[in-house]
Amino acid sequence: MKYTTFNQQSVNPLVEPMFFGNPVNVARYDQQRHAIFEKLIEKQISFFWRPEEVDVSRDRVDFQKLTEAEQHIFISNLKYQTLLDSVQGRSPNIAFLPIISLPELETWVETWSFFETIHSRSYTHILRNLFSDPSDIFKDIVVNEEIKRRASDISGYYDELIFLTQLWQTQGEGVHTVDGETYTVSLRELKKKLYLCMNSVNALEAIRFYVSFACTFAFAERELMEGNSKIIRLIARDENLHLTSTQHILNLWAKGKDDPEMAEIAEECKEQARDIFLSAVEQEKQWAEYLFQNGSMIGLNKEILCQYVEYIAHQRMSAIGLDSGFDVKSNPLPWMNNYLNSDNVQVAPQESEISSYLVGQIDSSVSEDDFADFEL
Amino acid sequence: MKKPDTAFHIEVIDVKGTLSDPDKTLLESLEAADVQIHYHCREGYCGACRTKLIAGEVDYTTDPLAYIDDDEILPCCCIALTDLKIKVPL
Repeated sequence: MKYTTFNQQSVNPLVEPMFFGNPVNVARYDQQRHAIFEKLIEKQISFFWRPEEVDVSRDRVDFQKLTEAEQHIFISNLKYQTLLDSVQGRSPNIAFLPIISLPELETWVETWSFFETIHSRSYTHILRNLFSDPSDIFKDIVVNEEIKRRASDISGYYDELIFLTQLWQTQGEGVHTVDGETYTVSLRELKKKLYLCMNSVNALEAIRFYVSFACTFAFAERELMEGNSKIIRLIARDENLHLTSTQHILNLWAKGKDDPEMAEIAEECKEQARDIFLSAVEQEKQWAEYLFQNGSMIGLNKEILCQYVEYIAHQRMSAIGLDSGFDVKSNPLPWMNNYLNSDNVQVAPQESEISSYLVGQIDSSVSEDDFADFEL
Repeated sequence: MKKPDTAFHIEVIDVKGTLSDPDKTLLESLEAADVQIHYHCREGYCGACRTKLIAGEVDYTTDPLAYIDDDEILPCCCIALTDLKIKVPL
């Protein structure tokens, strides 16, 4: 079905499925099929922040004091975070928007991606402060084998969905040959690709990001790189919402509360979904090996980080009805909670090191006494 | 929101029984009683504290955004309205 930016047919968005129904026409938010996405949009917008608000200038001094092994951990971690947000800043838009059928979900995806671009901008903010020319760091992201291996796994599911959607929208269902390769396009196949892609996105936001957060906060636990940690705390708060949204999508499908065909697919592809999570776990463990190859740092080493990967994977997989098979009941990094607790993120700007904050609210309650000294 | 002024009995299956504090969220009441429970955001959007509600009724102080099943609650943003029977993941 050809995509149209304004579907001229009257559709009732209250009965459309989340994906693969009619294209959205009027962007209206007074009614929603799935109210949760409207609530997530509001929450996410209320979290708005800018990287420049956080003063990272002290981190430069801290960075010089780190050992070589610690610098490797810090910079590799930042490269990985940059990769994750580079993907997330564009992919949900490109992969999901052309097939979304609900206005509230469409705007949620746009809001979500926009915040990922803020995250990307903050990595530049952090790196520009640490190095007079951060080019080498950015260039290494597409050359470094360890990072590339992760990148292909993360972007693969998106790319497959995007390509098949393009074929479907231009050629329709059927068997098509492109550059000598044959592709069978059917709505069912597309929905399967979408289901697997959503699981891979969930694994990214649920596990991969948290491994990187753990590394950042381990520095902050030693009162090092605190500007960076303040930024990552804001990022973690956003990621938590993004994670919640993909959990909702997956559960709405699985519980038959959206497209009934997606409920069948969720059942049919459960093992594949589980494998996506388990391979993310494996990759994160390999990543831990790479991070600590030159030595560990106080408070964090390969073993603890690997335990944390299993712990967080168990939590996240059970949230969407998957059995992880891991047996890590208690949090191996209990201090993580201090950084993920929203009370510790949302401080009054003037009370922390935030160098600029927005003023100019309007007080709309005016009493008659306010005009007492006015004379005409 | 109906705010109760009495404490209710909370039975945490396989752990212990305790009383709710009407001025605290259920999570805070449980923590005060040394019940181990996962949490991250404490504001209803991360879902880390997801708990099974076997019997009883709760009311939310903040609209929960995280996914919860029909028989689950988020202790970080609710209070007890009746005696409760809950099961926390061990």
